[in-house]
Amino acid sequence: MRPLTEEETKAVFSKLANYVGKNLVHLIDRADAPHCFRLHRDRVFYVSESLMRLAVSVARPNLVSLGTCLGKFSKTGKFRLHITALDVLGQYAKHKVWIKPNGEMPFLYGNHVAKAHLGRITEDTPEHQGVVVYSMNDTALGFGVTARSTLDTRKLDPMAIVVFHQADVGEYLRDEDTLF
Amino acid sequence: MRPTMDVSELLQAGASKQKSIQVEKEIPLDIDIGYLAATDPNPIDEEEYKNNREEYLQSVARDNAQLLINHLFSLPIESSQDGPLAKLPPPTTTLPRAKPLPKPKPPTKWEKFAAAKGIQKKRTEKKIWDEEKQEFRDRWGRGGKNKELEEQWLVEVPANAPADFDPVKEARDAKKKRVAKNAAQQTKNIQRAERSNASASLPQEREKRKTELERDLAQTRISTASMGKFDKKFQGEPKLRGVKRKFDPNEKSADSEKASALAILSKLDTSRPSKRARAEGGDDVLNVRKAIRHESRTGGLSGERTGGRPGKDGKGRGGKRK
Repeated sequence: MRPLTEEETKAVFSKLANYVGKNLVHLIDRADAPHCFRLHRDRVFYVSESLMRLAVSVARPNLVSLGTCLGKFSKTGKFRLHITALDVLGQYAKHKVWIKPNGEMPFLYGNHVAKAHLGRITEDTPEHQGVVVYSMNDTALGFGVTARSTLDTRKLDPMAIVVFHQADVGEYLRDEDTLF
Repeated sequence: MRPTMDVSELLQAGASKQKSIQVEKEIPLDIDIGYLAATDPNPIDEEEYKNNREEYLQSVARDNAQLLINHLFSLPIESSQDGPLAKLPPPTTTLPRAKPLPKPKPPTKWEKFAAAKGIQKKRTEKKIWDEEKQEFRDRWGRGGKNKELEEQWLVEVPANAPADFDPVKEARDAKKKRVAKNAAQQTKNIQRAERSNASASLPQEREKRKTELERDLAQTRISTASMGKFDKKFQGEPKLRGVKRKFDPNEKSADSEKASALAILSKLDTSRPSKRARAEGGDDVLNVRKAIRHESRTGGLSGERTGGRPGKDGKGRGGKRK
């Protein structure tokens, strides 16, 4: 476990900023308890400082996880968000997409969101914007990237992809072995 | 009815197994409770030590630890969430300093001269008495006495002065010259000190040259097309070692970590949306597209549109109109 270097911090922040935008400041500068970002076995954890100090005393091979896992660095140094980051993203997301009940299962199986399944979308969402996907009863299901801006989606045919799938809560089952 | 059990024997047996918390020592221990340290000045019982070393040492250690803990319990005790806490007094043992004493600085040219002539260092007071104003004034600095000539409203001009003689400029130039001379002397002193250092440590120079050579050699070894992989190796050639990565300490203070994270965030400038979003007018302060739509719904532009719903390509046209 170690703090992130500057490049790593940049990679993590720019990825997070895709979804939460300016709200990223609230992640860093928290009112309740100070939180920090820590790297352990290529995974980035968002963890409260007190917990981090406790985890220091756990030997590296024995430490499985701490705090919230945001994602991992690939071998080429790119940062990938994991579904475990959904709690953090969902709390501060700027742009959101709600999908109809009949579209939930296809999304949870890892498919993109088609226009026919789109229930609601935040107004003025630009193209290629990170969005958090919710079901109609406001349960966060995952996140993705918009294929078209809000206005352009109106012209699309029902089967066209609106949101590219990135992660969904179904991964807790599908990628159980590799996720943690 | 069952016979009553006599537990007093059992209790006694248990008590004899446990050692007393009262420990007698011929010479009392030196206890520095601030460091939780105890020193036993009592001589070792040689016979027992030879016969049964481990047991003897353990018993001595146990007795001493017991004394230390007894001492600990005699301290004022506060209760806290984690249980009672004894308040430790400040330690009395003085520990030696961790770092070596600083080396004396090499003397300046003036210090050498003063030492040779036996000139004592005199302390100059910062304040100086001003006869005219009848008060103490700073020798230098703001409103200092050394700027007196520059600040006079009237100055006597020498008889042989040229026509464009400026007494204020003259005085200021003279002062600046003195300052510059002092700075030059300072740099010369530093240079002299460095030179004397270098002469004292010639081996260091040699060492420096050696590391430079090694670095050059290492550079040439990896400067082939295969980065030195298929080159002939000499016997006993040392393996090339790169620079070790270095990370920040894990347990930094939360504030400093937060500050550095915020600094990186401000460098990233996430507050600015993507290029495309900017081109479309998606600014955080004023969403132009939204404003136009709102305006066209409610304002004068609504006359063109009969329906309440804005047109499909309202954005494009709205933008042009703006």
